[in-house]
Amino acid sequence: MLRYLGHRVLLLIPVVFGVITISFFLMHMSPGDPARTLLGPKASQHSVDLLRHQWGLDRGLGWQYLHFLGATVTGQLGDSFYFASPIMQLLRLRIPVTLLLMLMGAIFAVVIAVPLSVVSTTSRHSYSAAVVRGFNAVVQGMPTFFIGSMLILFLGLKAGAFPAGGYPSSGFPAQLRALILPAFTVALGMVPLLVRSLNASMTEISRSEFVAFGRAKGLDRGRVMLRYVIRNSSIAGISILGIQVAVLAGGTLVVEQVFALPGMGSLLMDAILNRDYPVVQACTLTFAILVVLIYLVTDLLYAALDPRVRQV
Amino acid sequence: MKKSLVAAAGTAVLALALAACGGGGSGGGGGGGASAAAGTPKEGGNLVMARADEVQSLVPWVPTDNASIWTLEEIYDTLLVPKPDGHGVEASVATSWSQSADKLSWTFRLRHGVKFSNGQPLTSADVKFSLEQASKPNTPFYFIDQVIKSIGTPDPYTVVITTKQPWSPLPADMALFANSIVPKNYDGETAAQFAQHPVGSGPFALSSWVKGQSIKLVKNPHYWQPGKPYLDSVTFTVVADANTRATQIQSGQAQVDEFPAYSSISALNAANTKVGIFDSSRVDYFVMNNRKAPFTDPQVRLAVNEAIDRAALIKTVQFGYGTPAKGYMSPVLWAYAPSIAPPAYSLSASKASLAKSKYPTGFSTTITVAAGNDIQQSAAQLIQASLAQIGIKATIATLDPSALSTALQNGNFDMSFAYQTTDIVDPDEIIRFAGLYNGGSNAMYSGYNNTELETLADKADTLSSQTARQQVYDQIQEMVNQANPYAALYYSPSVYAFGADVQDFHPYPTGNYNLVGTWLSSS
Repeated sequence: MLRYLGHRVLLLIPVVFGVITISFFLMHMSPGDPARTLLGPKASQHSVDLLRHQWGLDRGLGWQYLHFLGATVTGQLGDSFYFASPIMQLLRLRIPVTLLLMLMGAIFAVVIAVPLSVVSTTSRHSYSAAVVRGFNAVVQGMPTFFIGSMLILFLGLKAGAFPAGGYPSSGFPAQLRALILPAFTVALGMVPLLVRSLNASMTEISRSEFVAFGRAKGLDRGRVMLRYVIRNSSIAGISILGIQVAVLAGGTLVVEQVFALPGMGSLLMDAILNRDYPVVQACTLTFAILVVLIYLVTDLLYAALDPRVRQV
Repeated sequence: MKKSLVAAAGTAVLALALAACGGGGSGGGGGGGASAAAGTPKEGGNLVMARADEVQSLVPWVPTDNASIWTLEEIYDTLLVPKPDGHGVEASVATSWSQSADKLSWTFRLRHGVKFSNGQPLTSADVKFSLEQASKPNTPFYFIDQVIKSIGTPDPYTVVITTKQPWSPLPADMALFANSIVPKNYDGETAAQFAQHPVGSGPFALSSWVKGQSIKLVKNPHYWQPGKPYLDSVTFTVVADANTRATQIQSGQAQVDEFPAYSSISALNAANTKVGIFDSSRVDYFVMNNRKAPFTDPQVRLAVNEAIDRAALIKTVQFGYGTPAKGYMSPVLWAYAPSIAPPAYSLSASKASLAKSKYPTGFSTTITVAAGNDIQQSAAQLIQASLAQIGIKATIATLDPSALSTALQNGNFDMSFAYQTTDIVDPDEIIRFAGLYNGGSNAMYSGYNNTELETLADKADTLSSQTARQQVYDQIQEMVNQANPYAALYYSPSVYAFGADVQDFHPYPTGNYNLVGTWLSSS
C-alpha cells in the first residue's frame, strides 16, 4: 500500500511540472502588460518601463522561465505584482475557503443524490422515476449563477435565513453558515450526473444474483438496499464524484463571484485579468497539486470499497 | 459552465473596467439628489459599502484603481479639496494659498491643530516628504507634479512650492489624492511596512484589512474637524456580482451599493432603498485610429461621427442615464464649452460626407471591444448597424481588457471605445489627456497630432485669469471638434444605491465618497 501511495505521489511531479510550464508560457505570450495594467492608462511609458525592469520582464523569456522554476522548486512563491504582498499570505486566506466549499459541496451532493437515486430505482410508483428525471433535467439546464442568485433571493432575502453572499473573516460557525447556500449551489451542479450514474449501477446490481439470494434468505428490503446495493453501486459513483470534485477545483469561480466568497477561483481570474504572473503561477500550481491529490483520494476510496481492485 | 463563466466574468470585468481610471463613475450628467438631510446628524453606526473591486494599495502614490483611491481619500488629507460642484478647490489642511508676483511659486499656509491618527501633529515637513514621494518618476501620477521645481518649508505651517514655469493648475494639483499627506519618513517605518499600516490625518483610520475581501476603517479620534466624522466605522466589502450587491442592500446586509446595474435601478428605487445619481466627470468616446487608412481621411471621420445616434445609444445602452456629449470636456469641469456643436446625427449628411472622401462606396473595418463588457458590446452593435447603412461594414472583435489596453496603446486597432475621468478639478489634465498627442494617451488613442494644441495648452497654464484660460480652452475644443479624431459619445453620471437610513451621502464629481459628513439615521 505504501509503495502504491509513494508511486502515485511521485506521479505528481511530471503533472505539476507540465501544468506550470504550460501556464507560464501561455501567460507570458499573451498580449497585455502587467506593468501598464498596474500603473493605469495615465502613467508614462517611462514609468511602465521602469516597473517592467524591476520585475525582470525585460529579460529573455528563457531566463525568466528558469528563474521562475528555480524559485518554485525552493518554495519561494514570491510577491504578487498587483498587491505587492507575499503570495503565501493570499493563498493562506483563500485556499481554506475553496477547500471547504468543495468538501461541503461534495457532501451535500451525496446527501441529495443517494436518496433521489434510491427513490427513483426502487419506488413502486411509476411516476417517481419520472419526477426525478424531470428534476435532473431542469437542474442540469440551469446555469450555476442563476441557481445561486435565486437561492440568495429566496432563502437570503425573502426568508432571511442565510446571508446574501459574503464571507466573515472570523468565526468558524458563521463561516460555515455563509457556505451553506454556495455549497448547495455547487452540489446541485453535480447531482444530475451522480443520480444518473447511481441509477444505472443500482438497477444493474438490484438484478444481480447476490441481491436475489439475500432477499430469498429473508433479509428485509432496507437492509439489502443499504448493505449491498448502495455499497456496491457507490463504486461507480465515487469515480464520477471524484472527477466532478476535481473539476470543481478551478470551477468554483462562478459560485465565488455570485456569493462574494474570497476563494481561489476569483483569485486566479483576477490575476489573469491583471496579468499578475506570479499569482497565476501560484494558483495553477495549487490547482495541479489539488487535482492530483483528489484523484489519489478517489482511487484509495475506490480500493477501500471494492476488494477486487486491491488484488490487482 | 462556459456561458455562466462569461456572464460572471462579465459583471466582474465590467466593474474592473469601470474602475480602471482614477475618479469616475458609470452613467451620464444630471445633478445630485442623494438622501436629503432628515434632521440633525446622529453619531455612531457602521456603514457597509459593497463594491465590485478590491483595494490594491492604500499608499497615496501607488494605486490607479478607483477602489483604492476612494478608500485612501478617507484616510488621508490633502492641502486642498475639490469644491462640491467640482468647479474649483477649497481649503482643507491649507487655509490659504497664493501665487507669487513672478508667478513662479505658490505659498500655502497650514491649519494649526491637524493631527495624524497616531496623535502626531501635521506640519510642513510631512507635506514636503509626501510631495517628494508623489513626484518620483516610477509613480503613476508623477506627471501631475512634474512642474514642481522645489519645496520650501520656511516654518512648520508654511509650504512654498516653486514651479519650473508659471502654473495656474497647482492648487487643483494639490487636491489630487496622490498628493495626500503622510507622516514624514513614514514615521520611522519602511515604505513596505507603512503600506501594511498606513497612517493619515483624514476622518477615518485603517482598522483591519483582509486582502481581497474587506477593509474596515474606524473614526479618527484626532480628526481636525470638530464633531466629525459622524460614523463610528466604515466597512468596504468586495462583492463582484451586481445582483448580489442589490440583494445585500435590500436585506440590509450592506448600506451602500456602488454602481448597481442600470437595468436594476427602477427596482431599487423601492420602499427601503434609494438610488442616487451623482455628477461624474466620465466621458465616453468612440475612437478611430487616425494613423491608419481610411481614418486618415477627415471626411471619413466626419461621416462616422454623423452616423452615430447618441440619443439611441444612451437610451439602449445606458438605460437613459447620460447626456449626449458636445465637446470632449465634461460639464463637471469649468472649461466645458456648451457652444461646441458636434456633427448632428444624420444618415444623409453622413452618406454625403463619405461620398466626398476617398472611399465613396464604403469600406470594411473592425470595432474592437473588451471581453465581458456588456455596455461596449451593445454600443458596438448599435454603431455597427448605423455604419452599415452608409456602406461601412464593421465586424466586432473582442479582446480581453488587458490585451485591449495594449492594442490601444500601440495603435493596433481600427475602431474602439475609450473613456476618461479627471483626477483633478482643473481642466489642464483632461484638456491634454483627451485632446493632445503628448497628453498621455495620444488623444484618446486616436493618434491625432496637432502641435498647435500643445502650444495653446502650455499658454493656458501660464495665465492666471480663468476667463482668459477658458478662451484658450474653447479654441482647443473647437479645433478638436472640427478634426473629428473620435466621436465624443456621452457624459455619464455616477450611480449609487443605498438604504433609506443613509443620510448625506454626496460623492464628489471626482468620485471621492466624502464620508466625513455621512450619517445613519438608524444609529
